[in-house]
Amino acid sequence: MQRQSTGYLFVLPALLVLGLLIAYPVAYTGLLSVTDNQGNYVGVENFARILGARATPTAFMNTLWWVFGSIVFQVILGVLAAILLNQNFRGRAIVRSVTLIPWVVPGIVAATTWAWMLHTEFGIINYMLTAPGIIPEPVGWLTNGSTVLPVMIAINIWKMFPFVAIMVLAGLQSIPNDLYEAARIDGASFWEEVWYVMLPQVRPVIVAVTLLLVIWALNHITIIYAITRGGPANRTLITPIQIFRTAFESVQFNQAAALSVMFFAVAIVVVFIYIRTLASNAGEAR
Amino acid sequence: MGSVSIRDARKAYGNVEILHGVSIDIADGEFVVLVGPSGCGKSTLLRMLAGLEEISGGEIAIDGKVVNSLPPKERDIAMVFQSYALYPHMTVGQNMGFSLKLARAPKDEIKRRVAVAAQMLSLDPYLDRYPRQLSGGQRQRVAMGRAMVRDPKVFLFDEPLSNLDAKLRVQMRSEIKQNHQRLSTTTVYVTHDQIEAMTMADRIVVMHDGIVEQIGTPLELYDFPDNLFVAAFIGSPSMNILGGKLQAGSFIAADGSAIPLPFAPTGMDGRVVSMGIRPEHFVLDPQGLSAQIITVEPTGSETQVAMRLAGHDVVGVFRERITARPGEHIQVRPEQGRIHLFDGETGKRIKHS
Repeated sequence: MQRQSTGYLFVLPALLVLGLLIAYPVAYTGLLSVTDNQGNYVGVENFARILGARATPTAFMNTLWWVFGSIVFQVILGVLAAILLNQNFRGRAIVRSVTLIPWVVPGIVAATTWAWMLHTEFGIINYMLTAPGIIPEPVGWLTNGSTVLPVMIAINIWKMFPFVAIMVLAGLQSIPNDLYEAARIDGASFWEEVWYVMLPQVRPVIVAVTLLLVIWALNHITIIYAITRGGPANRTLITPIQIFRTAFESVQFNQAAALSVMFFAVAIVVVFIYIRTLASNAGEAR
Repeated sequence: MGSVSIRDARKAYGNVEILHGVSIDIADGEFVVLVGPSGCGKSTLLRMLAGLEEISGGEIAIDGKVVNSLPPKERDIAMVFQSYALYPHMTVGQNMGFSLKLARAPKDEIKRRVAVAAQMLSLDPYLDRYPRQLSGGQRQRVAMGRAMVRDPKVFLFDEPLSNLDAKLRVQMRSEIKQNHQRLSTTTVYVTHDQIEAMTMADRIVVMHDGIVEQIGTPLELYDFPDNLFVAAFIGSPSMNILGGKLQAGSFIAADGSAIPLPFAPTGMDGRVVSMGIRPEHFVLDPQGLSAQIITVEPTGSETQVAMRLAGHDVVGVFRERITARPGEHIQVRPEQGRIHLFDGETGKRIKHS
């Protein structure tokens, strides 16, 4: 008993901080979602209104595209980069450092820079494509409804694949050299080594990183908000941005809270899967 | 079918040459052990044979075909690693069948050949287990099974028993030997343990500092070591080496005591030599040299005695039971015809008829 109460004393500061910074906002958001701006209880009215808004299903579909598109390419590109960086070649240390740059650059800086590079009239990307005649006329990357979301996804991939690469690379480096040698003697080609030795060995890393990326993509605000704020015509409006704009631009805190609560439910499922996966990996290792 | 010919093989890392021209011929079906202290280049040579290390100079041929520039998979060899190097995410059966799978063998053939090897190694109950669920000895067997399934021209073993405890090592030693007798696949086996080498090999290659010191059957090396290194390396407890010189048909030790030689090397008076006597080649003889006993270690069947003889600390092993106590003296002499003489400068054996 004595020991237990001492233990509680030690975790108290952490619990206090967690309570103030996480539990209280969550609970308060829950409260906001069922009241009006006067604080009166209104039941599910906020939920009904926000679900009825025209932007909501659009944002939902955009979010699916955003998350799915980002994850698939971040993981594929990240794993390929990791495999490349795990090979022996001259200047590997430099290439490894350079690969990390996108991840190290602050999101807002990256977003602003990309916005300029993608500018229809003055952007370097259109310049480089039109000058040698690859495309006949400038593309409105950020104003054209069919290019803007793919472009946002591309920036997000660029920003996050180094993270995947570095995590997977760490996993690859923990594979004993003997295994590669055994595979070579067993007759494996390079790609067979990748498929039968490397990937199975880093599978737990890839799973964990993928789930983290899903969570981060679901929460994402910076790049999209800094470049398009969800526009044009809601083409890049994903749910987190919709929540943000509902709250701080339309000043509909209660509806934003209602949307948050629903979104939170989805996010919590992913987080739950993530934790379960981590736990089962720990049991599986060796 | 699986002969190996190594011709003046050299290995250098940058400017540092670690194998200085090694030549070994291995006949089909032979069990050859490469033995030597750490850093002698034996593992490097094996890895060059496997295709895991480049060959800096010379030539290696398997079955008459030069393999210098062939990748491992085209050499038709199988290797057992010291760490076993089993794929942790594959079951025992998948581990053993992996090479066949890569070779696009039909599924039922893989299954059949894995089953045969598993049967031979008594692994059949474990085919669906993962390596981490096996004991050290079982993992070792899986590693051998993985090699056997392929039915290669040459088996390569890189210190396969050094991760096992002493008892298991003795057991696996005889299992490997039995499997070799059954399969008669050419085998090259690397170890630093001279007992393993003596008990398993058809022929032993003793290596030291990147060169071959001697090649021969275990008993040839034991009875006629070419030089001081082989003499001291092979045998346990190791051979006693006494420094001294030759004079009038006798060996004069550093302290002046004379040991008569059964043969008289002519024209060598005054030559500085080393005399080698194996511990079991001392006999008790009242007319012999006086030796002061340091310790007496009876094992029941024999008695190992550390003693001071002619100014050297030597070890003798006697079938008789020694009752003398430390500090006392016994009279011993080397058995006639069992004395080895080595040149004091080159360390080479001085031959006598």
